Amino acid sequence: MSTWSRLLRGELRKLTTTRMPLAFLGVLVLLAGLNGVAVVAGTDMDGSKAFIATALDQRSMMAFANNAMMGAALFGAIATAREYGHATVVPTYLAEPRRARAMLAQLVALLLAGAVLSTAGALLIVAAVALALPATDYAFLVSIGGVSQVVAASAFAGAAGAALGAGVGTVVRNVGGAVTATFLVLMVLPPLVVQLTSDAASWMPATLGTVVSGVTTEVSTASALLALALWGALPNLLGLWALQRRDLV
Amino acid sequence: MHALTFEHVTKRYGREVVVDDLSFAVQPGRVTGFLGPNGAGKSTAMKVLLDLARATTGRARIGGRRYRDLVSPARTVGVVLEPNAFHPGRSGRNHLRVLADGLGLGAGRVDAVLGLVGLDHAADRRVGAYSLGMRQRLSLAAALLGDPPVLVLDEPGNGLDPQGIRWLRDLLRDRADAGSTVLVSSHLLAEVEHLADDVVVINRGKLVTAGALSALQHAGVTVRSPQAAVLVDLLAAAGASVTPAPDGATVVHGMSPARIGDLAAERGVTLHELSAHAGSLEDLFLRWTADRSEVDLAARKGEVLA
Repeated sequence: MSTWSRLLRGELRKLTTTRMPLAFLGVLVLLAGLNGVAVVAGTDMDGSKAFIATALDQRSMMAFANNAMMGAALFGAIATAREYGHATVVPTYLAEPRRARAMLAQLVALLLAGAVLSTAGALLIVAAVALALPATDYAFLVSIGGVSQVVAASAFAGAAGAALGAGVGTVVRNVGGAVTATFLVLMVLPPLVVQLTSDAASWMPATLGTVVSGVTTEVSTASALLALALWGALPNLLGLWALQRRDLV
Repeated sequence: MHALTFEHVTKRYGREVVVDDLSFAVQPGRVTGFLGPNGAGKSTAMKVLLDLARATTGRARIGGRRYRDLVSPARTVGVVLEPNAFHPGRSGRNHLRVLADGLGLGAGRVDAVLGLVGLDHAADRRVGAYSLGMRQRLSLAAALLGDPPVLVLDEPGNGLDPQGIRWLRDLLRDRADAGSTVLVSSHLLAEVEHLADDVVVINRGKLVTAGALSALQHAGVTVRSPQAAVLVDLLAAAGASVTPAPDGATVVHGMSPARIGDLAAERGVTLHELSAHAGSLEDLFLRWTADRSEVDLAARKGEVLA
């Protein structure tokens, strides 16, 4: 077995031998339930159900990419930072002292976990909406292709989010700090940037999430995918720099 | 065979010098005790050796190589370093399986080390529910997972019950006898006295002494004389370190019995005893690591005569 596959296997086992993925899955089930309740009980300001009247409305409701990115980012940040908190980074980097390689293995494992969790989240929401719609006057109008795009967009955004969180966790090394920093990067920083330069609005994660889900078209899908990937990659470059410079413990 | 070498290793954190120009070697086939008071720099020195922390200057090598340059580092060096380096929600078995994956080892080896450290009955329990001794056994299991020829253990006896201490002692002795290199830091001086062939003592980051424990323990000379005050002045003036023993004798360091006898004879001082002093490791440790200011204060009070 190659070094690379050994490391990746170990990182995947780390993620699957604690309850954290189950906790996140529980949150996803809750979110899906809330979506279902919103479809059944929610109305627009005028009392109508216009928010689920068209295929685009329904797709918009099911577009989970932005939430997936936030959720997966928190997952990545916690998974990475807690390794420093529990000092489990020590055996990790003793097994592979070439830090970039060990960090990359962890990143890939988190990309996969982020994508899987986000896919599950998107599927749960699609299922909740599909199950709730018969209780209204509207049928499920989104095509198979549309549903596929929503799910794929969530998977991609989730992977990018998990990467972003992993990078933040590597830099901050403290679970509370990493969660706060991730929240700041994804929820506080974008509005501030948009206030400074409104042209940047199209490149913020929330907008990019709706683009890749096929709900809006501010930028091309390819550009949105690239931009999301950059959001995920940049904190990792910073994390790699910090990891190479700092003592591990 | 993997000797461990520290060559002029210095580690600073800001202005604080934690390890100061530390040089010593740890030989294969011997158990080396690494001693020093809390904060002496033992753990930091170990971290430098294992590439977990970067030396400010100097270098530490394992078999002539940096840790990161070893072919299979975690199969070469077994480490107990950070206490409680576990995810509390993960079972002991899964903790080891994660490590085994990283080393390319199978579940069979995990079961074997769990049995070796006596944790097989609790292997599937969450580590968060383990006692301190069980966690320590799990740390040791992790260190032994790759069956490494080098062991670097920081306080491995912490929390172990007497049976566990005995087991650990036998394990380390067997390993060393089989040619392994064993570096073990401990505050349990009586245990080190039983276990170690060599000791390395550091204080405030600096090397205090290193060598074979038996030789160090017999480095002093016990002298008894009815003219103790004259003898003490004589020996101190000749450059020896002279310490009064509780039983009225005087312990002399830094001078051979022959030289002491010659000096006493030249001055006509009667000697009732002149013998090699076998100090306990605890006595030696306290002397080696005594705070300089305390020594000076004691000297002023006349408790330490040179």
